[in-house]
Order: sequence, then C-alpha cells, then structure tokens
Amino acid sequence: MGVTCLTRKETFLIVQSLLCALVTGLLTVSALCLYFDGAAKQAEGDLFYYMYTRERVGARLLPILPLLFCSFGMTVAGLILGIRDDQADKPVRDEKLLRNQGMIREKAVHQVATQSELYLRVAVIALAVFLIVAGILNGGLEDVLAKGATICTECVGLG
Amino acid sequence: MDNTMNQEKKAPEKKAPETQREKLQRPGTRRLVQLYAALLYNANLKGFIDGHIYSGNLKSVCVPGFNCYSCPGAVASCPLGSLQNALTAAGHTAPWYVLGILTLFGVMLGRTICGWICPLGLIQELLHKIPTPKIRKSHITRKLSYLKYVFLAVFVIAIPLIYGIGKGMILPGFCKYICPAGTLEGAVGLLQNPANATSFYQLGEVFTRKWVIMLVIGLACVFCYRSFCRFICPLGAIYGFFNRFALAGVKVNPDRCNSCGLCVMNCKMDIRHVGDRECISCGKCIDTCAQGAISLKCGKITLKGPETGKNADPEPVIQKRKKIGRIAWGIAIAVLVFAVCWFNLIEPAIENANEPAAAAVATEQAAGTEQATGAEQSAGTDQAANTDQATGTDQATDAEQSAGTDQAAGENQAANTDQATGENQAANTDQAADETGSSEPKTGPEAKESGTPAAAANLPVGSEIGNLLPDFSTDLLGEGDFKLSDHRGQVVILNFWGTTCAPCIAELPDFEKLKVAYPDVEILAIHARAGAKKAKAFLEDKGWDHLDFATDSKEKGIMKLLNVSEALPSTIVLNPQGVVTYHAQAPLSYEKLEALFKAALADN
Ligand code: SF4
Ligand code: SF4
Repeated sequence: MGVTCLTRKETFLIVQSLLCALVTGLLTVSALCLYFDGAAKQAEGDLFYYMYTRERVGARLLPILPLLFCSFGMTVAGLILGIRDDQADKPVRDEKLLRNQGMIREKAVHQVATQSELYLRVAVIALAVFLIVAGILNGGLEDVLAKGATICTECVGLG
Repeated sequence: MDNTMNQEKKAPEKKAPETQREKLQRPGTRRLVQLYAALLYNANLKGFIDGHIYSGNLKSVCVPGFNCYSCPGAVASCPLGSLQNALTAAGHTAPWYVLGILTLFGVMLGRTICGWICPLGLIQELLHKIPTPKIRKSHITRKLSYLKYVFLAVFVIAIPLIYGIGKGMILPGFCKYICPAGTLEGAVGLLQNPANATSFYQLGEVFTRKWVIMLVIGLACVFCYRSFCRFICPLGAIYGFFNRFALAGVKVNPDRCNSCGLCVMNCKMDIRHVGDRECISCGKCIDTCAQGAISLKCGKITLKGPETGKNADPEPVIQKRKKIGRIAWGIAIAVLVFAVCWFNLIEPAIENANEPAAAAVATEQAAGTEQATGAEQSAGTDQAANTDQATGTDQATDAEQSAGTDQAAGENQAANTDQATGENQAANTDQAADETGSSEPKTGPEAKESGTPAAAANLPVGSEIGNLLPDFSTDLLGEGDFKLSDHRGQVVILNFWGTTCAPCIAELPDFEKLKVAYPDVEILAIHARAGAKKAKAFLEDKGWDHLDFATDSKEKGIMKLLNVSEALPSTIVLNPQGVVTYHAQAPLSYEKLEALFKAALADN
C-alpha cells in the first residue's frame, strides 16, 4: 500500500477548490444571517426594520474580501502558470461504455440537412414571421416593452 | 470573422502547438464573439453609472441570449422573461409575439446562441477557467441534462400559465425562483450603484433565496463545465428543439465521417452526436476530427471548416474566409460603436431636448425657494384652512388611537375621522406629533422632521425624504384631474405601479383598504409609462373604486420629474405640507402603509 503524495499542482488545485467553496459558503452564510436577524427583528414588531442595508451588507462582505482576492489571485496565477486539471481536456476514452450509455450513435452522419429538413426550416421560418406579425397586431409587442421598460422587483429577486 | 476564428488553433503541421501562456494572451474568436455579444446586449453603459435601466422602445425586442432586462446596461428584453410574462397574460393576449421571436431565433441559430452569443454562457465558461479539479461528463450528467426540460415545463410554462389564467396572478416562476441572471445582472447590477441604496430596503426572502441559488450555480460551474446551461437552462432546452434543422450550426459531412467517435469523446457537453439537442455549436470538435468531417455552417456558407489533416479546406478557400471574416468584424465593430454612442449619448440628448412640460415646471420650482415662499404666502388663507384640516385629522388619529389601534379599520375609524373633522379643536400639533411619533415606527432610516408650513416652503424641492415634492398635475383615468398642490393639508400617497408587476398588483388592495379606513388620505396610483394603454381595461373589474388612478407618459414625464426609479412598485408619502416622508421602491403591507400614513400625519 503506497502512500500517494500530492504534487504541487494537485495541492494548488485542491487549495483553490477549497477557497472557492469557502467563499461561496461564507457569502451564503452572510446572507442567511442578515435574513434571519432581520426576520427576528420584524417578528418583534419592528415593521420598518430593513434586513439588508448598504452598511450591513458592507460590514458582512468586508471580512470575506481578503479570501475573495486570494482566490482571484490564485486563479490569475494558475492561468499564467498553466496550472489546470489535465484530465479535464482528455477525451472520455471508454468508448464501449459511452456506446452502452448511449453517448455515441453508430454514425454521426444525419446532420447534413435532408431535403425534408430544408422544407421544414422554411415552413418554421414562415410560421415564426406569421406569429410575430400576429403578436404585433394583438399588442404582444407592447407587453414585452411594458415588462422590459420597468424593473419587476420580484422577478429579479429584489423583493 | 474567420481571421480570428482560425487563429483559435493553428495547423499543427505549420506551427508548434501553442503553450498555455500563448493561449492566455490571445482569446479565441468564440470568446471575442461572446464578449462582443455581451457588450452589444448591454450597450447602455451609462445605466451602470446612473443606476437606471434603459426604457426605450428597443425593449420591445428580445435578444437571443440570456440577458436580464433589468440589468442597468440591457438595451433589449430577455426572451425567457418575456415568454413567462406573455404566458401569464395568455388569458387575454395570446403570446404569439414572443413565441414567434423564440421560433425565429431557434430556426435561424439553434443552440449556436448558447455557444456564441449568450452572456450567461460566457460567465459560466469564465468561471470554469478557475483552476480546480473538474468533474467530467458521464452517464450521470447525461441524465441530469434532461432536468432542464422539467424546469422548462414547470417554471416557465406551467406556473405562469396556471397562476396567470387560473388565478389572475402574475408569477414568472423561473424568474422569481431560480434565474441567476436576474440576481446577478438585475439585482446585484442595480444594488451596486449608490443611487439605488433604497432598493436594499426591499430585500428579504426572495433575494436571500435567489442569492443562495446563484452562488450554488456559480460554484457548480467552477467544477462542472456549463452546469447551468447543461442541467437547468430552459432557454437552451427550447433552442435545442430546433438544433437539428437550424440554419446555423455544426454539420457533419457523411462521406468523410468514419464513426471514430472522437468528436463525442472530446466534447464537454452531454451529446450523443455532433449537432444534437445538447450541442452548442462551439466548434471545438472541428479541430478534433481527423477526417475533417465537421464544419460550422450558416446555410451553405462555411464559417469555420477543417484547416488541417487530409481533408483540410484548400488554401484559397481559407484565405477567402479570412477576408470575409475581417469584413464581418469591421461591420460588427462599427455596429457596436454606433450602439454605444446611440444609447449613451445620442438618445439621451434627444430626450433632454424634448424635456416634458412637467419637468420644466420642476426646474422653475427648484429655481428658488423664494418662489415657493411666495406661492405659500399668496396661498395664505388656503394654508390656514389646510392647517386646520390637518389639525383635525391629527385629532382623528389621536381619537382613533385612544380607541385602540387594533380595531378593525372599518366604521370605527371612519366615524373617528368624521368626529375629528367636525370638531375643529385647536390642538397643539407638535404635541400630537410627539405623542404619535413616540408610538409609531420610523418611516425610513433618514426620516426627517419637516416642521411648519413656512419651514416646509424653505425646504429644497426634490423627491428625497425631507424635500418638498415638485408640483405636478395629471388627468385621472376615471374623471377629473389631479393637481398635487390642491391636496395640501392632506397626507398624499403616490404609488407607482404597472400591470405587469406582480407585487404592485398584490399591494393595491391594501391601498384601497387604507383609503376606506382613512378617507382623508389622498392616494394616487400612477401607472408607469410603459404599457399604460392597458391600465384602464385592467382596472375595470378590480373594484378599487376609492383610489385615484392616472397614467404616466413621455409627455407628462411624472416619474422622471419625481425621480421615481423604474423599479416597481415605488411609493412616495407626503405629509400635509407636501414634504416627502417616505420614498422607496418596495411593496408595502397594510400595516406598513398605515404606519406610514400616521407618521406622515404626525410629521405636520
Ligand atoms: S430575471 Fe431571468 S428570466 Fe427574468 S427577466 Fe431577468 S434574466 Fe430573464
Ligand atoms: S459537438 Fe462539437 S460543436 Fe457541439 S458542443 Fe460538442 S464540441 Fe461543441
């Protein structure tokens, strides 16, 4: 039973993954803390207690910033030095397994458009144009503008 | 276009393979196109500086890729958000327009959009560049790739349809519960700007949930190539249906393909064969295929073909492609420069030149407080009457409070108001304010005392808390007109809403309830300029008869005059002197509204 020593590259990759996970975890915990603190205050009857304010968010983010910079620095260093997971770009070699799992068809040939596919394409383009014109006539275009020209706070996650 | 495209991987026979450093220094064509598309979609660069979104007519058009329309830079709409919105409205307006646009994008480009011109795809690929151990595709990821159809069916189609048609509610399921683009580009994009500091006040459960979801998806993308794209993205699922017969995409020459399977093995997406519903036409397999069987085509035009190996394209063809590529890049850059100039310089200049009449009034009003004082003096008797009235209303609040605030808002309160209006008692308003103030919640962190009418007249004109709100007038949707200055002596609540905004519609019944409980309050709900034509029809069966409704327009420019953000719903509360006591973009519950009303009344 041999003990496998991590190479410098492997250590780098592992440290970087831990850093990424840590930053994500801390950002998550910060948001949850702000939320639960605020929810408790609101439950006490303070209607206008704001869970998030610029100041509170800033105070929570500040301790995470060094880790964030560290992770960013390691990313830049890794890119410059060409440190990466070599396995990532290697082909998934187990062809039989791939075939069994349905990841390869017998021949990747049917991609050249047949005549019927060409007709289908033309028909679908005509249909799309018809739908767009019908939509403009029934006011659908204005609906898109109405939604796009204002910020729906619920949609983007503001509130 | 092919010039740079072909630089992505040079012929190994002619040159030594590039080192990692060389690759780093020079991004490939696809990366440049991705950056270009992201910049073009977000050409409203000034939005990032002033914190406002672009709200011009181009927003009626959708871009092909995932780009939140609430991003301060976005110049057009998000196709997926528009689809959900159209489905919620399917009960009265068939969603032909958005369906037509999606079909057109799909049949023309298929998932080439995902690989080349989707900003979210670019973000995922950049995250994947972070050097960590990577999770490779397997039969598990292949199975997970079906998940996106579930997201499409449930969050994009079923939830908006069921809530929209069945319950008359606007609920864009994917936007509200999942979309990381909305959180990153929309929410974070707006919140990072100090001009939107008050937007923080509305953050709560929805934001916390979406923030966590965004972080988890981001982390997944670091370890697993395009995780969102492969497992979640409903837009990719839609475009995937068209991949097989889309005009643009990677195509395989059957005469050259020998079924070696190298293309599938090297591809990072969960494909079964090149060009299937999972293929994003990134074109990497073109260089992998030793047979030179794969090329990226648009109809009959080859955008990228095999340049090495036994079936490499002839040199003159490659040179011709490079030449066309150079011309295409030239045109593309000219379009980008024009778009940036148009959205940031030309269009704003045209808008300023056609400044609405209302804004001119504001400028005049802001020009000197002397004018305001003068107006106040000339309206002396009115003011006196108003002060009396306000005092009366204070009394009403006191009486109501002594009767118990937890009494149901109905007849008791109406009776109290009558009583107070009838007995014109000479009450000490300061005292009333103090008493009420001590038991009232604050209206906002920066809430200020505005003092007496005379003091109010000396306040700066503006829309921030403590400012005297500029006067404006508008016609009402029912009958008559509204002039803000006619309501001095009353608490005035201005609510800004839109028929496409779910929280706006959810809170309007509470405004109605407040008006019934406190008839002295003046509530004007102003529909945002976009989609205002549909406001009247929308209101017909709602039964909000006690509220005044108006619509904004380019000519009126009310929201611009009052510096109301495009974030809906927004509410401004004015004390009886017309001074702003609350101004924020946030949905309000009845309890909050009542507290704001009482605080404004006390701030007299
Ligand atoms: S929140 Fe997501 S789906 Fe909704 S509009 Fe924005 S990007 Fe589109
Ligand atoms: S099959 Fe080729 S073009 Fe399609 S995603 Fe895979 S590598 Fe990219």
